[in-house]
Amino acid sequence: MSNKEGRIARHRSPTRRQFTALALAVATTASLMSTTAYAQSVDLSQWSPEYIRSIAGTETYDTAATCGAVVPNDYEGRVSYWYTGAFEADPLIAHEQDAAFWEAFKEAYPNIQTDVQSITYNELLDKFRTSLLGNAAPMVVRLQILGGVEFAAKGYLDPLAPEDVGYTSADFWPGALKSVTWDGTGYGIPTNNETMAFIWNAKIFADAGLDPESPPATWDDVVTYSKQIKDQLGISGYGLVAKQNAGNTPFRFMPQLWAYGGGALDEAEENPTYDSVHINNEGSKQALQAAYDMYVRDKSVPTSALTNTQAENQGPFIAGQLAMMIAHPAEYAKMLDLASQATGADKEVADAVVENMRYGLIPEGPARRAVVFGGSNIHVVNPQYVEGEYDEQAAKALICMWTSPEWSTKLAWVGSNPGHLGGFKTEWMKERLDTIKFLDVTTSMLPNGIPFPVLPEAPEIMNIIVPDMLQNALTESMTVDEAAEDAARKIEELRSGM
Amino acid sequence: MTIATADHPVSRRPIDGWRWAGRIFLTLLLIFTVMPMIWMLITSLKTGFAAMQYPPQWWPTEPTLGNYTRLLDPTNSVGQEFLRYFWNSLWVSTLTTILAIVVAVPAAYAFSRFRFPGRTVLFFAVLLRNMFPAVIFLVPLFILMRWLGLVNTHGSLVLTYLTFGLPLAIWLLKGFYDNIPIQLEQAARIDGATRLQAFLFIVMPLSTPGIIATAIYSFIGAWNEYIYAYTFLTRHDQMTLPVGIQRFFSENATDWPGLMAATFMMSVPVVVLFLVLQKYFVRALTEGAVKH
Repeated sequence: MSNKEGRIARHRSPTRRQFTALALAVATTASLMSTTAYAQSVDLSQWSPEYIRSIAGTETYDTAATCGAVVPNDYEGRVSYWYTGAFEADPLIAHEQDAAFWEAFKEAYPNIQTDVQSITYNELLDKFRTSLLGNAAPMVVRLQILGGVEFAAKGYLDPLAPEDVGYTSADFWPGALKSVTWDGTGYGIPTNNETMAFIWNAKIFADAGLDPESPPATWDDVVTYSKQIKDQLGISGYGLVAKQNAGNTPFRFMPQLWAYGGGALDEAEENPTYDSVHINNEGSKQALQAAYDMYVRDKSVPTSALTNTQAENQGPFIAGQLAMMIAHPAEYAKMLDLASQATGADKEVADAVVENMRYGLIPEGPARRAVVFGGSNIHVVNPQYVEGEYDEQAAKALICMWTSPEWSTKLAWVGSNPGHLGGFKTEWMKERLDTIKFLDVTTSMLPNGIPFPVLPEAPEIMNIIVPDMLQNALTESMTVDEAAEDAARKIEELRSGM
Repeated sequence: MTIATADHPVSRRPIDGWRWAGRIFLTLLLIFTVMPMIWMLITSLKTGFAAMQYPPQWWPTEPTLGNYTRLLDPTNSVGQEFLRYFWNSLWVSTLTTILAIVVAVPAAYAFSRFRFPGRTVLFFAVLLRNMFPAVIFLVPLFILMRWLGLVNTHGSLVLTYLTFGLPLAIWLLKGFYDNIPIQLEQAARIDGATRLQAFLFIVMPLSTPGIIATAIYSFIGAWNEYIYAYTFLTRHDQMTLPVGIQRFFSENATDWPGLMAATFMMSVPVVVLFLVLQKYFVRALTEGAVKH
């Protein structure tokens, strides 16, 4: 969005003490690989579960009034929007928050007509690509973090910065903003930032002779624990997923790759340039070897891992047939939801499963502890590809509401963290922390977050080439070395436009 | 010692190994075919938690019809959407079937009875569309539908389904008309009937099984179609069932019992249609295939 009309000044000015803290924060958030130094609206240098708890509930926001200063609340118009909302398999609270947002938007902007389509996670990118080919795209779209740059580079998106809808860049994680920056220009605003954590079944650990309260500290421990569980109990230890063309695979394998010092490119480095291929370095090969050891040598992960997404790990985990996995906060919420709906004899089993669930930080490796800095961003589509008349003001009103501290918190209730850092200060964040214990861990994983390479080729690299490498090694159609070299060659070819 | 069989000899037929092997094979085939459907039905009666238990509950300890009532209750959002998808599928499939019959019947009759230049070429040309995988036509058809203003309308699906449903319908019906003796029409013409009357009152009633078989084929094809519906439709109020039931999958979880209940409900119209009309279907396929 190039139209800067209607921008508002931030309604809170930082104090001197806050300035000092903010400056410190900027200097100590190298792990987020910020390229632009902004004074953050929360002190990132103090990031810890305790700090998050201390700031939760300390500020209140009037979202309708804030956005009313950007686009008048009596504005008449129309906006079309595609996103991945709550679906049948999602917890009830996700449906309630989604419905509440649209009610709130209608209340704040009664004269803006909405044409909203909620499209499933696995369908959205394909549908959006097709709609762009036929000039039938919506005005506004929310895409997974990996998707935006692909479309920005092809000219399908219009520039969009937080300042366009009344916020400042300092209100968002630098790493998240970087994920929507292409060629020095921002093409979106983060709606939610998610990091995952490690979840394990304490009873299985105890039965296998492991400490039920201690997760594996390193990825080497994961391999050892997984084997021990398989040998002792005959069930799968670690929930490896390696399905091709599924977002779940890079979200679960890249943390391991980065922890050993590997990477697809140099995305895990402090100042990535994306000019060098790291998929065939020693760290990457060690990570691939660890996966090979679990799948081929020890047979301690599900045999179906080659075709599994994370959804296929949930059943075995709940059934006590899988001991540990990288899990999304939404999965934890879903398990609580399923247990709460169980009845009769099932209820006892369900309660026992929940009782045995433990969660902790993702293991570290020789190089670092890492997790994918994931989430979603909201974008405005280049008007020439939009179906119907383009309404910039209505689009801005929707984006302002969606990315506000209030709604970026509520709409990420079970899934992730608010994109707007102000969300951490809201009363709703406090409520979330009180009700979803797992969030403590996932929010504290945020500073370990590494964004995927901000390149148009990133979806191809992460969803196709990395899973292909895993498949080649795990099916033994190639050795670990050959698979890594093959992946490196493919990435180089892709980057060189061959 | 008297042997009863000596007084009343019983002629024991030797065990027919091939017959028993055939029976066993058919039984295994039946199990292979039916088991997934039985498992689908059983899963649809479970709660979300029970569906994930291992070892699996062969019969749910706490069976529930909740998944079905949720789908059929128009007062909740899941029910509203499912019923809308169901109605959309029914509408698209029925319209496709009617149009396919309306076009295929006279076309097949013409190929069967008339001799005209290019008849053979044209007859084989109608199959051209079916010689390529559907995905090849996906983007061109999407752009065409966009140009026609049909994206996000059921019209785009009906038109598309006709392009690959019609050729086979015409071929199926032509084989059927070939088997209706032309002398019957000639007799009607001698009695004063016009060609149209002879077609409507003599040929059509005789070809009813073929028309019904073609209708079933068109209906099932449209009812189950996924890839075009997935591409052409993004609006929930327009979606058909095969695309709509994707809503039971989300990023990190799947509502298996809900999905199984929806899938079971989706299979009901096709199964009922086939059971009621199967004798026509089989007759049409066999009669159309053999020259008398």
